[in-house]
Amino acid sequence: MQSWRGKSLWLALSASWLLVLLRVFPLLRLAVPARPWASAPQGWPRWLDTELLPSFSQPGELPEDAPQPPQAPRGGGCDWGACFDASKCRTGGLKVFVHPVAGPISASHRKILASIESSRYHTASPEEACLLLFLSLEVPAGECSPVPQQWNGGRNHLVLDLHPAPCPQTFQLERAMVAKASPTVDTFRPGFDVALPLLPEAHPLRGGAPGQLRQHSPHPGVPLLALAEERGGWRTAGTDPSTCPWDGRCEQDRGPEQTHPGGTLPNATFCLIPGHRPDALHFLQALQAGCIPVLLSPRWELPFSEVIDWTKAAIVADERLPFQVLAALQEMPLTRVLALRQQTQFLWDAYFSSVEKVMHTTLEIIQDRIFGASAHASLLWNSPPGALLALPTFSTSPSDFPFYHLQRGSRPVGRFSALIWVGAPGQPPLKLIQAVAGSQNCAQILVLWSSEKPPPSRWPETAVPLTVMDGQRKVSDRFFPHRAISTDAILSLDAHSSVTTSEVDFAFLVWQSFPERMVGFLTWNHFWDEAQGGWGYTAERANEFSMVLTSAAFYHRYYHTLFTHSLPKALRTLADETPTCVDILMNFLVAAVTKLPPIKVPYGKQHFEATPPLVPGGPEPQPTARDCINQMAAGFGYMPLVSSRLRLDPVLFKDPVSVLRKKYRSLEKP
Amino acid sequence: MCASVKYNIRGPALIPRMKSKHRIYYITLFSIVLLGLIATGMFQFWPHSIESSSDWSVEKRSVRDVPVVRLPADSPIPERGDLSCRMHTCFDVYRCGFNPKNKIKVYIYSLKKYVDDFGVPVSNTISREYNELLTAISDSDYYTDDISRACLFVPSIDVLNQNTLRIKETAQALAQLSRWDRGTNHLLFNMLPGGPPDYNTALDVPRDRALLAGGGFSTWTYRQGYDVSIPVYSPLSAEVELPEKGPGPRRYFLLSSQPAVHPEYREDLEALQARHGEAVLVLDKCTNLSEGVLSVRRRCHKHQVFDYPQVLQEATFCVVLRGARLGQAVLSDVLRAGCVPVVIADSYVLPFSEVLDWKRASVVVPEEKMSEAYSILQSIPQRQIEEMQRQARWFWEAYFQSIKAIALATLQIINDRIYPYAALSYEEWNDPPTVKRGSVSNPLFLPLIPPQSQGFTAIVLTYDRVESLFRVITEVSKVPSLSKLLVVWNNQNKNPPEDSLWPKIRVPLKVVRTAENKLSNRFFPYDEIETEAVLAIDDDIIMLTSDELQFGYEVWREFPDRLVGYPGRLHLWDHEMNKWKYESEWTNEVSMVLTGAAFYHKYFNYLYTYKMPGDIKNWVDAHMNCEDIAMNFLVANVTGKAVIKVTPRKKFKCPECTAIDGLSLDQTHMVERSECINKFASVFGTMPLKVVEHRADPVLYKDDFPEKLKSFPNIGSL
Repeated sequence: MQSWRGKSLWLALSASWLLVLLRVFPLLRLAVPARPWASAPQGWPRWLDTELLPSFSQPGELPEDAPQPPQAPRGGGCDWGACFDASKCRTGGLKVFVHPVAGPISASHRKILASIESSRYHTASPEEACLLLFLSLEVPAGECSPVPQQWNGGRNHLVLDLHPAPCPQTFQLERAMVAKASPTVDTFRPGFDVALPLLPEAHPLRGGAPGQLRQHSPHPGVPLLALAEERGGWRTAGTDPSTCPWDGRCEQDRGPEQTHPGGTLPNATFCLIPGHRPDALHFLQALQAGCIPVLLSPRWELPFSEVIDWTKAAIVADERLPFQVLAALQEMPLTRVLALRQQTQFLWDAYFSSVEKVMHTTLEIIQDRIFGASAHASLLWNSPPGALLALPTFSTSPSDFPFYHLQRGSRPVGRFSALIWVGAPGQPPLKLIQAVAGSQNCAQILVLWSSEKPPPSRWPETAVPLTVMDGQRKVSDRFFPHRAISTDAILSLDAHSSVTTSEVDFAFLVWQSFPERMVGFLTWNHFWDEAQGGWGYTAERANEFSMVLTSAAFYHRYYHTLFTHSLPKALRTLADETPTCVDILMNFLVAAVTKLPPIKVPYGKQHFEATPPLVPGGPEPQPTARDCINQMAAGFGYMPLVSSRLRLDPVLFKDPVSVLRKKYRSLEKP
Repeated sequence: MCASVKYNIRGPALIPRMKSKHRIYYITLFSIVLLGLIATGMFQFWPHSIESSSDWSVEKRSVRDVPVVRLPADSPIPERGDLSCRMHTCFDVYRCGFNPKNKIKVYIYSLKKYVDDFGVPVSNTISREYNELLTAISDSDYYTDDISRACLFVPSIDVLNQNTLRIKETAQALAQLSRWDRGTNHLLFNMLPGGPPDYNTALDVPRDRALLAGGGFSTWTYRQGYDVSIPVYSPLSAEVELPEKGPGPRRYFLLSSQPAVHPEYREDLEALQARHGEAVLVLDKCTNLSEGVLSVRRRCHKHQVFDYPQVLQEATFCVVLRGARLGQAVLSDVLRAGCVPVVIADSYVLPFSEVLDWKRASVVVPEEKMSEAYSILQSIPQRQIEEMQRQARWFWEAYFQSIKAIALATLQIINDRIYPYAALSYEEWNDPPTVKRGSVSNPLFLPLIPPQSQGFTAIVLTYDRVESLFRVITEVSKVPSLSKLLVVWNNQNKNPPEDSLWPKIRVPLKVVRTAENKLSNRFFPYDEIETEAVLAIDDDIIMLTSDELQFGYEVWREFPDRLVGYPGRLHLWDHEMNKWKYESEWTNEVSMVLTGAAFYHKYFNYLYTYKMPGDIKNWVDAHMNCEDIAMNFLVANVTGKAVIKVTPRKKFKCPECTAIDGLSLDQTHMVERSECINKFASVFGTMPLKVVEHRADPVLYKDDFPEKLKSFPNIGSL
């Protein structure tokens, strides 16, 4: 019986154990929810019959869906394909005619007209034009501008509407595109209309004020935020994280703040701009100041949004999430802040700082639409020097330009072409040809014969191909993009220049590190002449320089294209009339593009005597040449030249080591 | 107890020999134990969701068994889509709240089967693709199963193909979703919108404020910045193996592969073929195929049969023509074949056009200009075509190739709108991986010359050489552009000298004491640094003249994104050892400058301290060496530019052998430095250093010119 009792005890035990297992354990698991099993698959179930599910489209259904005539649904609106007739532009490129304006026009309208007329797209004949521009005038309230002649239903018309007109809809726009300052998002037709910036009345025609950013990183102690005030001006707010300056709800603790009157530019890292349309004026101010615009739910289209990637320069945030936005701004990585700040400056300088730039950008956008596949790549629009200075007619591949090697991970290709310009005396520069041909980096020698005398029939035997081209008798012909130039690098020379092979070799090597700049031997410097009240320049040797002479200089062949196709005709004519001007003009052009000084490399001493006086009449330039620099500065609207105080020498240049160690020892010969 | 255990083990074998009275007990016992085991086993495999009874539906693992919902005929219908909707008007961003990870949370409604009053289903329950799509979302970081925390809601009602559903009833089904609220924050995926006869370009199901990810939007129906234009998925993407074919000229210049093209367009295409002969191939469906051959996979031209989609790889450009619908699945096949799509569909909003730059991968030709298509394409240079082919293939790989890719790209676009400050950049969306790897985006890309007035901050790293330190301070303080001097006192065992003992200089002098004797302290972004330019200088560099330092600063202003230093060094490839070698001899080339005396932008301090790749920083601190090489690597890697060495070679007081004397030690020093280069190159995965053969001197250096007229006469003199 002992065993029997023991057994029943054991039975009771195991029964209770089972009870515990069955009842208590699940309860325990309920009490501790979701922890140990959380890793188990959750969410959308894995169906057993996944494989059996039907496809969303039956084979054959897709192709069979074209039973009816192909008719684009016309939603009462226009888009580029439907309403613009680009066939006219294909033959002659973009030609713009401006409808004559009846009646008095304001100063800002005059600037717009002037900037279009100075553009390379302008034409005086409406027949030739493929784009007709109509300036919508400010008219008394209630009245509307009359429809111009040759309106043609608005086809191929661009209506410029820079200031909010009192007449709500100037006239029935029909098929016309509208270029409007800060258009509302609801009426804007992407890819057809053009969004312009809201320009202040006093916006300059040309040049324009440079961006305010003097350094890459924000000054320590600069306020984090500036808030655009309704009545104009800015209010800077402290960096206290608890403040939300644009929201009434946390009005009470705004921290230290400062109010700035209307005209001043904000001095802060971020500029908060409410999304209402009148606030669009603040947008340009922030851009110029290098203050990163933070747009709070903008109801207007950002300027040139078709081509400009605003995410690189501004932040569009939701005004309904003030704390999140503030926290995001405060925690933004330094690298991003730096990039955004710099981009604001680049965009300001490239597209917004003058009426001319704004108008030319507008036309360039339309030109890009016509070009289709061969338009500017996004990279060209959104990185320095900007699309106005990077012509897609040169190449559609960014690696062909001197500016994008870093972004593309590429290098300038090949060797260099020596381009020797033979002017008036007409002597074949035999010694020079030998010196240049001696360089292993020389790919070809091109002689541009611009003398009245006929070129000699016999030329010296050289290791590299030598081509004689018959030039026009114009100085600007030197910078024509001749087809024969096959390399990225050009060594520009005059018949009377004198360089040695090792000088050329070293200069070319330096150029490869700086393909966007000019690398030269002889230099000039510009200065502000208080007495004359104008710019002057000197060929005297000095501690600074801002120009290199193109009678011996390396530069990228793209500058030939830019010189010929983008410079105003007036400036090129000026250069033709005063030959010394051509050097200044080329230096102006390159400096305006790069915003950097040229580079000087060492040049043997004996050449200073050997070179004929570069500026006839001694070191002081002749009066016409002096005028030239001032006319150039007026033509550009500002002084682009930048001075440098350094020269790039070979690493061991004139060091007290054995000459046998030196690669460029002949550079040091006295 | 012992006995019972024994019984338990041997139980079954013993049972027949037991007395019948006891046997009953044993059988009961045994069955109870067995039952217990079964019950435990069931627990093991019970899904976790046992708690909430509503989720029992998940248990049923066949689509046919999902709960049925009856929709009364008079249940509410949402309003038609509101064309003026924008993110800031129709989207409730509060639901997305603050999320430190800047990721939206997406909830998926559970699957139901909707029937009308008569029990007739509203639509097919779910298609394979929509199931795949929801699975992809569910597996992604966006997914949440907590409806109250969700920012975006995805109904499980499948509207991918409008033809398979009943419009009014589907709308009613949407309207009864638990969080519908006029469709706010709801996302619908639709690839085939519209139906006969007029084929609308957006889903016809009334959906109020819901966002629509649609394939086939036209500019008239697409709400810019609100809807998302998605591709029409091509089932061939998964069904057919198609090895990648590199870019380059192909057999046909222009190919049209769509079988059902409207007769008018077919005429235009055939006219093109007639004009350009062999270069143009216009395919049609096959009429004479024997039964059983998949007609989807064949195309014919006259009597010639071609395999589809393989034939697309034979063409440079492929026509993607609109049908009744604007969005065509053939676009996906074309991209995959690396054929550049020629999109002929006026007003079509290309897939993901909000973020993808289609100009780089396609050519858009207006329908009217179809006859000119050939000449338009011929004007594109070969290099650009190859670039486009590469880009097309990359778009397919990244955003077209699977339903998952399409779903995640859609969510990423919406995510970017809600957290714009964390959005992906143009380059991240558009650059193929090869370009991304090769390109450098210089953090200091803006060409500008900082004003001279700002000056520079000199940072002297010192341990205990007070006498030499004071001499350095006195020398450096003579430099006109010096604006502040910072001494980093790296000795924890010794206090810096008293204030009165320090040299009196004209600029503020601050001493920073460090917590640990680490070399990286020299590159810490101290708050005290107020200027952009920093001069790092060792406490034993007393041989640099004021002219040399001032000139160095001027050079830095012209190259603010580079390291501008005095002693230069070189890295070389040792062919015998097959590794990098450090070189300090008098060479014609330079690839590094020592930071014992160098100017650089203070941003690089931030990078060195917080963004140095791998374990380099710790490695340098542990070895007490090579912090300068690490800095050279870092700057060259991030800017893609070479260093600038300034002024002639000087006899430096052995700047690299700080506490080491004797030649043999010098030898080990060189070995160690070489090791550093090899180590860093492997961490960076590349050799970022750039070799140059130039250095910067003052314009008139060693020129035959009166010394007193030179700005920097005192250069290079020992």
